[in-house]
Amino acid sequence: MRLLAVTVSLGTALLVMTATPGYAAGGDAIFKKSCASCHYTDGPAKEKTIADQLAKKGPELWYAGSKFKKDWLVAWLQNPKPIRSLKYNSLTEANKGDHPKQSAGDAAATADFLMGLTSPEVKAGVIAAKASPQAKAIFGKKMPCGGCHEYSEKGEVRGGKSGPSLVGASKRLNPDWVYAYLANIKVFKPVRDMPDFASVLNPKDLEGVAAYVATFE
Amino acid sequence: MSRFVIVTATVLGLALGAVGSAQAADAKQVYDFYCAQCHGVNGDGKGINVTKDFATDPRNFTVAADMEKRSDEDIRGVIKDGGPSISKSPLMPPWGSTLTAAEVDGLLAYIRKLCNCKAK
Repeated sequence: MRLLAVTVSLGTALLVMTATPGYAAGGDAIFKKSCASCHYTDGPAKEKTIADQLAKKGPELWYAGSKFKKDWLVAWLQNPKPIRSLKYNSLTEANKGDHPKQSAGDAAATADFLMGLTSPEVKAGVIAAKASPQAKAIFGKKMPCGGCHEYSEKGEVRGGKSGPSLVGASKRLNPDWVYAYLANIKVFKPVRDMPDFASVLNPKDLEGVAAYVATFE
Repeated sequence: MSRFVIVTATVLGLALGAVGSAQAADAKQVYDFYCAQCHGVNGDGKGINVTKDFATDPRNFTVAADMEKRSDEDIRGVIKDGGPSISKSPLMPPWGSTLTAAEVDGLLAYIRKLCNCKAK
């Protein structure tokens, strides 16, 4: 009887082991083979100078699990449409939209791996989508985010092109990460062409902007 | 003796020149990275962000007549604290906590080079 119990327990343990980490390990291997030449995943941030940033071929992904929403990531890896209309690090060359595509299986495994890469700077469950008048005024006028980021207004895409587009941000970005990024941008990107808004806006305002961006279709 | 002085002076001059051009290159790199997105790679105010939705015209640094009206302190201030610090558009954001004082000075010198002008 005891032998049976032990056998069942061992069998269960074995099933659990094969069902969970095997998947993630696959994503790790796929990433190393297909993605690591352009994206680094071992944080914290390595860039110290403008030259360091310009030497990168693609965005750092060491906090991808805090930044992205998993469903979006799985879909995007299979159909990677440009998030920025210009090539990475360029203000003049167009983004050719030639990011490699993955199969559904590889995309799921890669997303599993990436979602495990989180930053302790990002506190979960703090920011919920909300469009407050104060946040709209900051985004539109006081510290105009739309100067550099595209967004959709009444179905029309507006805004600048140097930053990543915020069209569809509600599906792509974790609002808790958007807040953490605004509040402590140097942790994530020590060298970037976006100003440090935490030096001029208070935490409540930054929370409001993150909540507003989380409503973007 | 005189040949020695000439050689020394030439070497020193070359070395100083190299330092000067290294600083200029750095300022250009800083300008291209932070400022060109709105003010344009050539400083003409026609950066990639300037679409029909952009609510102001970014300063064209190549127009000496406009740039002469701005003091060096105004230019340093607007880079650090943003457009509203001189009653201009908030689309010029504050870079004070991003750039070092030396980088701001470098940008000022670079901008003065673009307009080929000084404050009047």
